[in-house]
Amino acid sequence: MFGKSKSKNMTMIILILFSLVFSGCAGSTSTSQDSAGDGQIVLKFLHKWPQPEYSPYFEEVVKEFEKQHPNIKISMEAVADEPMKDKLRVIMGGGSVPDIMFSWSGEFARKFVRSGAALDLTPYLREDAAWNDSFIPASLQPFSAEGKQYGIPLRFNGKFFVYNKQIFEKHQLEEPQTWNEFLDLLDKLKQAGETPIMLGNGSPWAAIHYLAGLNQKMVGTDVRIKDYDPRTGEFTDPGYIKALEYLKELQDKQYFNDNVNSNSHDMATQLFYAEKGAMIYVELEEFPTVEKNIQVEWDFFPMPEITEGKGNQHYITGAPDGFIVSSQTKHPQEAIMFLKFLTSKENAEKMVKQLGWPSPIVGATNDQTALKQVAEGVEVMKQAEGMAQWLDTDVHAKIADVYLSNIQLLLDGTKSPEEIMREVQAVAQEVKQEVN
Amino acid sequence: MLKTYQNGRSALPFILPALLLILMFVFLPMILNIYYSLFRWSAFSVEKVFVGWEYYARLFQDPVFYTALKNNSLYALISILFQVGGGLVIAAILEDRLFRKWQPLFRTIFFIPSVISIAVVGLLWQLLYNPDIGLVNGVIKAIGQTEWAHAWLGDSKTAIYAVIAVSQWQFTGYMTMLFLIAMHKIPSELYEASMIDGANRIQTFFAITIPQIKDMILVGTIITVIGAFKVFDEVYVMTFGGPGRSTEVLGTMVYRAAFRNDEMGYATTIATVIFVITFTLSVLQMKLSKSGREV
Repeated sequence: MFGKSKSKNMTMIILILFSLVFSGCAGSTSTSQDSAGDGQIVLKFLHKWPQPEYSPYFEEVVKEFEKQHPNIKISMEAVADEPMKDKLRVIMGGGSVPDIMFSWSGEFARKFVRSGAALDLTPYLREDAAWNDSFIPASLQPFSAEGKQYGIPLRFNGKFFVYNKQIFEKHQLEEPQTWNEFLDLLDKLKQAGETPIMLGNGSPWAAIHYLAGLNQKMVGTDVRIKDYDPRTGEFTDPGYIKALEYLKELQDKQYFNDNVNSNSHDMATQLFYAEKGAMIYVELEEFPTVEKNIQVEWDFFPMPEITEGKGNQHYITGAPDGFIVSSQTKHPQEAIMFLKFLTSKENAEKMVKQLGWPSPIVGATNDQTALKQVAEGVEVMKQAEGMAQWLDTDVHAKIADVYLSNIQLLLDGTKSPEEIMREVQAVAQEVKQEVN
Repeated sequence: MLKTYQNGRSALPFILPALLLILMFVFLPMILNIYYSLFRWSAFSVEKVFVGWEYYARLFQDPVFYTALKNNSLYALISILFQVGGGLVIAAILEDRLFRKWQPLFRTIFFIPSVISIAVVGLLWQLLYNPDIGLVNGVIKAIGQTEWAHAWLGDSKTAIYAVIAVSQWQFTGYMTMLFLIAMHKIPSELYEASMIDGANRIQTFFAITIPQIKDMILVGTIITVIGAFKVFDEVYVMTFGGPGRSTEVLGTMVYRAAFRNDEMGYATTIATVIFVITFTLSVLQMKLSKSGREV
């Protein structure tokens, strides 16, 4: 009885099997369609702020944009900071690339440029001078490569030492101008029984941000730019070792809290809010959180100048975050329209007000829209002669990885600055061969 | 009817769907994985550059590979000791007449950790290990051994042991459950006979319990060893291979190569090596125990 209908059975089974397999595939293709049934254009938009305190802003802006442009629908997706690093790689490999996607500036964005995945935005900016001029110039520069503009900044970020004014006043201390004054200040705090700086280096980017500034201050700008470029990087300048030594000195003299590698940045900030430490090194975007959580008065200062350093001492550590447009997008005009809408002065002011983030749009971050300290921070950044971008997104991923994994060992005393730089140099050679 | 079953060809329609699925989702990716490991490519790259066996040569010169291999082996050894050995002892104790009344309670208590998501367990233990506010150091200090207090996850010398310990806490109960189930199947006549012969508890454990649940022990060992070489989540959540590279395992190495360093070719190379290692280990275990051919 089986024998007779054997071939029938087999056909059935194969049919079912294939329908199963292909229905699975079909599901994924239908979502990547770029126009909905009624002739609407669908733009895929990927950002990195799914947190409940941030996502409503994006939802509101998207809704408003859709209201003004009924023919365009924005399909928005958000993943958090760490997962974004993986997500972008997976979508680039998978082929279903969003039209507008988040990217860090610097080398992280240049990677898209090198592989031809990012749309050249220069003509669009040239076409609309008003839009171009609405940005603080220093915020556009980190998104450019070889004279072309590949990214549009959404927010502007700098790194500053935030300090507890009460503790400073108690010990009659002042903001330091130079590194030596800074060390002096730290020493006085230590002597007075305070923990000078809170640091949570469980995720090593925290200490890497110190190094971003120290490298920039210690190494001549031309040399550093050449080294940070994966095609020409050598990292042989003694300034890099010096920079690591400066950081190590802070740890060796116990200016940080205990167990830096076991604590997270969040933990460190919590301890700072609880007034357990005098200072913490944080980003401008964290200022509103500081204001909300700390009970005493606070102020901030940038990383002090290092007199013997060969780099420009009037730089600020920081970078803009923003968006790039996929080179494969079928609707570049619409994507640019959306980016223009997102960076319009009105929406920028709304962002500053609602999220407390500093905006790269001229005049959007002011006393009315932002916290006093945030507005001041943006002023400091406007006067800066340039930006030292986050070291872990400004150098090639493999070099960043060497820095990131070794910085914990530097702080716990397992590796010396010389050993670390030897590793960096070796990887830089490797990268050079691969890229060229 | 019987004849129909013996006819090989008529079995085909029944086997074919599963066969096709296995080919498509297991064997094809495996072969592709080896193929991809011969190329230099990243998610961002436009084309794949053929490099042959270059990545394999590089892997065997990579000191991190040996750290990872060492960490995975440590994981396997300690896990066999605690999960298989410890699980066996706990199961035997719970099966004992004296404790049988309490068995359901302890069974549940020991089993609970293994059903909690690893991400949660990782975060929980990260907090417990925290040198300033964590419970681990708190307990150590409370019993007066202050000099033992330590930055468990923050020190490159202890971090790997701290991570492995969490796995033992989480999965020993699971193994205990497996052994208990196997022990329940042992006919009680065997124990009664041994008691009449005057054997004590330790003797019955070695003479009856262990031989009777040999297959379960083997399965348990295979699960543990393969699990130890595939471990990823605990390390990822608690230390991400750090401090430095001290807790790097093969799994995190693949992840780092693929998703951090943009070297998909190198990542597939490491993945191939993991496959070879786990495959060899399972074959070896099957052969050594002469099992898997039960009638």
